[in-house]
Amino acid sequence: MLWVTWRQFRPQAVVAAAALAAVAVTLAVTGPHLAALYQGSGLGGCTADCGSRVASFVSAVRGTPSEDIFYGGVLLVYALPALIGLFWGAPLITREIESGTFRLAWNQSVTRRRWVAAKLGLVGLAAMLTAGLLSLMVTWWASPLYQAAQQASQNSLSINRLSPPLFDATGIVPVGYAAAAFALGVMVGLLVRRTIVAMAITLAVFAAIQVLWPAFVRPHLLPPAHTVQHLDALTWNGVGDVHRGHLILQPGTLTGFSPGTWITGSQAVTVSGQPAVMSPPACESAMQFVACLDQHGIRMAVTYQPASRYWELQWLEAGLFLVLAGGLGGASYWRVRRLA
Amino acid sequence: MIWMSWRQFRPQAITAGAILVAVAIVLGITGAGLISDYNGAGLSSCHLSCGQDATNFQNSLEGSVYLVVFFAGIGVMYATPALIGLFWGAPLIARELETGTYRLAWNQSVSRGRWVLAKLGLGGLASVAVAGLLSLMVTWWASPISSVLIYSKSTSAVSSRLTPIMFAARGVAPLGYAAFAFALGVTLGMLLRRTLPAMALTLVLFAAAQLVMPAFVRPHLASPQHATAAYDPNRGGEMIISNGGRMVVVESASIPGAWILSDTTITPAGKVFTGPATSACAGASINSCDSWLAGRHLRQYVTYQPASRFWPLQWTELGIYLAVSAGLGGVCAWQIRRKRA
Repeated sequence: MLWVTWRQFRPQAVVAAAALAAVAVTLAVTGPHLAALYQGSGLGGCTADCGSRVASFVSAVRGTPSEDIFYGGVLLVYALPALIGLFWGAPLITREIESGTFRLAWNQSVTRRRWVAAKLGLVGLAAMLTAGLLSLMVTWWASPLYQAAQQASQNSLSINRLSPPLFDATGIVPVGYAAAAFALGVMVGLLVRRTIVAMAITLAVFAAIQVLWPAFVRPHLLPPAHTVQHLDALTWNGVGDVHRGHLILQPGTLTGFSPGTWITGSQAVTVSGQPAVMSPPACESAMQFVACLDQHGIRMAVTYQPASRYWELQWLEAGLFLVLAGGLGGASYWRVRRLA
Repeated sequence: MIWMSWRQFRPQAITAGAILVAVAIVLGITGAGLISDYNGAGLSSCHLSCGQDATNFQNSLEGSVYLVVFFAGIGVMYATPALIGLFWGAPLIARELETGTYRLAWNQSVSRGRWVLAKLGLGGLASVAVAGLLSLMVTWWASPISSVLIYSKSTSAVSSRLTPIMFAARGVAPLGYAAFAFALGVTLGMLLRRTLPAMALTLVLFAAAQLVMPAFVRPHLASPQHATAAYDPNRGGEMIISNGGRMVVVESASIPGAWILSDTTITPAGKVFTGPATSACAGASINSCDSWLAGRHLRQYVTYQPASRFWPLQWTELGIYLAVSAGLGGVCAWQIRRKRA
């Protein structure tokens, strides 16, 4: 059964290997230049007060091909799980059902369940391996940028490996995503039984998960930390206004946090900790609106995940998605007996 | 034949319609909020010196849902032509060839050429319409943000609508991309005769075309302009000194709304300045390095496409992509009529 699975999987494996090789060559050729820029801006041994050196380094990267390769790499790691679900997961069993070749496949000495288990296992492992290798390569290439981001409180490229756009594209989380997308594709295919429709549904569902998960689930995977900040401690560059007595306070960039913190929410609160809905009447026509608010005890309550939680969140999220993949795979294994 | 094409295209049309409606609802709701924030920052009524209001407005977008929708809009504009090529283009003929139903389709009273032209025509028009509607909605939604970007002093990847990332997500160019992706998918499906490989190859070739275009073709569609200014180290540029004393001096140019193609610091002789770093710079204070650099009489040489070139470049690119799509469609029709199988 393993040989049959391999033989059927061979074209996809060859394409994946070629693509990985191409990416590896590109990254290997351009990686040393980025590392040299990092060393050249003096960040190698910098432990304190590195802000201006980080700014130099990031400026030297901006607008150059290195920036494009960085974004391209991130985009690739993002796209890979969806592509795996689409091209490896959805057609795995659906093609056999749609074209009728299941009649040959399921009338051999190997039972249906063993057939499904072998296919799910081999291709699933290949999916995780591909995603892991790609993530490894891209994270290795971009490590000067990530290290620089840790050394100053902000950088003009807004690189923060804990916040949503980059978290999904570094570390081991892509392995979990690839496994889950693959299992999702197989399951949807078994339910819908037509390849292209299954591909479309897999793409839609997985894209929805990738968009909604960082917004609603991930901030609460580990209990976030809370802090309350004075309004004058922040570089107040947001929108502070009053509209029919209601206070409108939208912060710009919040400062005062160590590099790499992920800010998940902020809200204006009164002294007693209640949300500040109405503006103090005295401030409505004050010259220094924000200073007046601060004098009346309005503060900014911030919830955040500290940078040190990066690996914890990575392992937790990868584990959850692997469990999801296992569940979907198990459901496929059980369901295939009831087909045709 | 038109009814037949529509009947076969119906599920895709319904899906596209549902997605368009969903996108319209999301953009409509958040767009209203964005406009009220824009007015709230005082930008609708300011005529001169809007800089501070613009900065406040831009900063209020940080970390808000509007930034997410902004980038999601760009993502949708990038994904739509690719998805059209994948799900509408590649299976159009490949499915018929793969399953054998072409034998029925090509043995009717309608000739093969008419059959393929009807299918291409309907699918192509639908692709262009979908991409056009999406581009219209996303550009409308982002107009408050675009109008304050000219105040942004930095030249980031999204600071002007001419930069590659933004150019492909605005205006009329996405219509060309959708038509091209569709035609590419149909042609590859016809050549490869199997749906899944056709889908994969369409994705790869379309992505390659989208990378090659802004990198090698678009900068030359209109002749770029050049600007030279005296390099002033006090204006806040950055410099990198590598191990051999080789220097890289960088200063970002500030030309609002332009697409900066190259920005180098050159010596009076016209060559790129590479140092070597003397003792005034290596390991010494910033001031001594700045005064040494000032004595070199360096100039900053910028090659760019000005902001006014946005629409000419858009229409040129649309024309190119539509011409290529028409060519691919013609190849399809000609090959199908010749097929003996």
